[in-house]
Amino acid sequence: MNPEARPYVEAFAPPAGEPAWLSRARRRGLERFAAEGFPSRRGEGWRYLDLGALAARPLLPRAAAGAADLRGFDLPEAGSTLVLVDGRFAPDLSRLGAGLGPLSAAAPDLAEAAFAQPSGPFAALGAALFGDGFALDVPPGAVLGAPVAVVHVASSGGASVHTRNVVRLGAGSRASLIEIFVGAGGYWRNDATALSLGEGAALDRIVLVEEAAEAVHLNDTAATLAAAARLGSFVMILGGRTVRQELRVAVAGEDAACRLDGAFVLAGDEEANIVAAVDHLAPRGATRELVKGVAAGRAHGAFQGRIVVHEGAQKADAHQLSRNLILGRRAAIDTKPELEIYADDVKCAHGASVGDLDEAAMFYLASRGIAPDEARRLLVEGFVGEAVERAEPAALRPYLRRRLGARLAKLEAA
Amino acid sequence: MMLEIVNLHARLADPRENRREILKGIDLSVGAGEVHAIMGPNGSGKSTLASVLAGRDGYEVSGSVTYLGRDLLAMAADERACAGVFLAFQYPVEIPGVNNMYFLRAALNAQRRSRGEPELDAGQFLRAVRARLKLLDLGEDLLQRAVNVGFSGGEKKRNEIFQMAMLEPKLAILDETDSGLDIDALRLVARGVNGLRAPDRAIVLITHYQRLLDHIEPDRVHVLQDGRIVQSGDKSLAAELERRGYGTLGDAA
Repeated sequence: MNPEARPYVEAFAPPAGEPAWLSRARRRGLERFAAEGFPSRRGEGWRYLDLGALAARPLLPRAAAGAADLRGFDLPEAGSTLVLVDGRFAPDLSRLGAGLGPLSAAAPDLAEAAFAQPSGPFAALGAALFGDGFALDVPPGAVLGAPVAVVHVASSGGASVHTRNVVRLGAGSRASLIEIFVGAGGYWRNDATALSLGEGAALDRIVLVEEAAEAVHLNDTAATLAAAARLGSFVMILGGRTVRQELRVAVAGEDAACRLDGAFVLAGDEEANIVAAVDHLAPRGATRELVKGVAAGRAHGAFQGRIVVHEGAQKADAHQLSRNLILGRRAAIDTKPELEIYADDVKCAHGASVGDLDEAAMFYLASRGIAPDEARRLLVEGFVGEAVERAEPAALRPYLRRRLGARLAKLEAA
Repeated sequence: MMLEIVNLHARLADPRENRREILKGIDLSVGAGEVHAIMGPNGSGKSTLASVLAGRDGYEVSGSVTYLGRDLLAMAADERACAGVFLAFQYPVEIPGVNNMYFLRAALNAQRRSRGEPELDAGQFLRAVRARLKLLDLGEDLLQRAVNVGFSGGEKKRNEIFQMAMLEPKLAILDETDSGLDIDALRLVARGVNGLRAPDRAIVLITHYQRLLDHIEPDRVHVLQDGRIVQSGDKSLAAELERRGYGTLGDAA
């Protein structure tokens, strides 16, 4: 057995009375993690993230959820809200709406879908150890007007949190979802989510990562798009010691489209990685990606974007842009946009840039009386704002801008 | 005296530019309420003079510049702006993602704070904006766009004058604000500038051509050549330059 895996394998104690398929999924996950252990940095997928602290000190899941502090959290735009504290459903803090509930209460076929996607060793460990998660099930043709909010809270440090989550949109349905990640202390969060969009369905999803300064956040999301489905995604990382947001999209049906935007704002010793992998498997698919990175202090950010246009995925239209801003000599950003094309009639483009603040713009702002700190904040806000302005649902943009503004105010003080 | 420049030298700080000297001893006095035009051929140092007065980095500067009794060269660019110095850029900078209105309000409130005045609320700000947009025939939609992004050349220049009208500086330096403007835009810009002429405000117009001075009548005209002021006179000097060109001036110095 892999030595890093041993403490987790030894702590494995599945709840009694679970359905047979779930027990099997847990065991499968555990066996895989036991064999593979932590992913190697030598592998391309994990090379930009330092998991040394995680490997050195095992963080096991708690038996029960701790007490969560959600003061100051307010999202009136949400139509319904589900709160998970330490990965477990918190009914007192939640306000459920149509189709939204904990995974533990979801129909078996829906819950099982949360385990269907093949993925890496951490997702395997999560399958073994997960406590609960959320399920959003939107029937064919249904339209959820207001955004659904899911708040993932970690109550304190010294433990790990594992969830499995599933979103299923029936044919022709529409929904929007915001997932918010917060917490206190040095915890490790390990979540996996499966998104399934039926024919002509449309999902807009926002992920806001505002983890505690010492926290590790690993998230693996896999999406499948049927014909003419549309996925809009915006991931904004504003906090956390080590953060990895991976989104894998299978554009499986023809005429399906996805927008995978992202942003990270890092300072201190923070490290974050946005990984986006898109497989175009059917004709006339479209991908749009805009990822904005900002790193200050000794922070390290990375974007890994990979778009594969498979044979037969003719007329694919893919566009990928990674733009990065480095504030300070000790910050670093890696960017790796990749296109792999096996069809001959496609339109694909990608680009990347890494730079520092535009001196001409700084002087222009100064010449109007704006002090350097505020000028810097305005420019960074504007830089990240270009991605925020594309986020859907638009009703949540003011909230995202406020969170970004709060983050940048702290960046200034740091 | 509002602005007193004595023996001002400036060289490029960048060693790749061989620390080339651009300004080679400028003396200039501008009184409150006056409009001065600084004319000169390309490369004579006009824009460098404007940049140095506004506090742009990248120059090694010597000599003295006294603005309202203060040592201007010792002040940072934003402090100069808060003290009432305004530069209308020859090439206004595009700032993607930063909303024009948000930017302008941040600037105005920064200046008001520095003077110990209360910040303007959104309503007061909007009223001030509307009155001045009209003066320059600019649409309100311009405020919702990113700073100078997607603006036409003329819109950029009018936006500079609009900002000047909002910020109400004591010393306004206009760096080739007339270049690239058609005659209608030039008239609008001139109307904006003339509207700001006041006994407690000085304006320095930097221009290559005489035509702006048909619309904004200067009190004094100076000719800058090779980093020095080689001739000064009243507005008739501009007309003379237009007739004779800059080439003949070397002898006059």
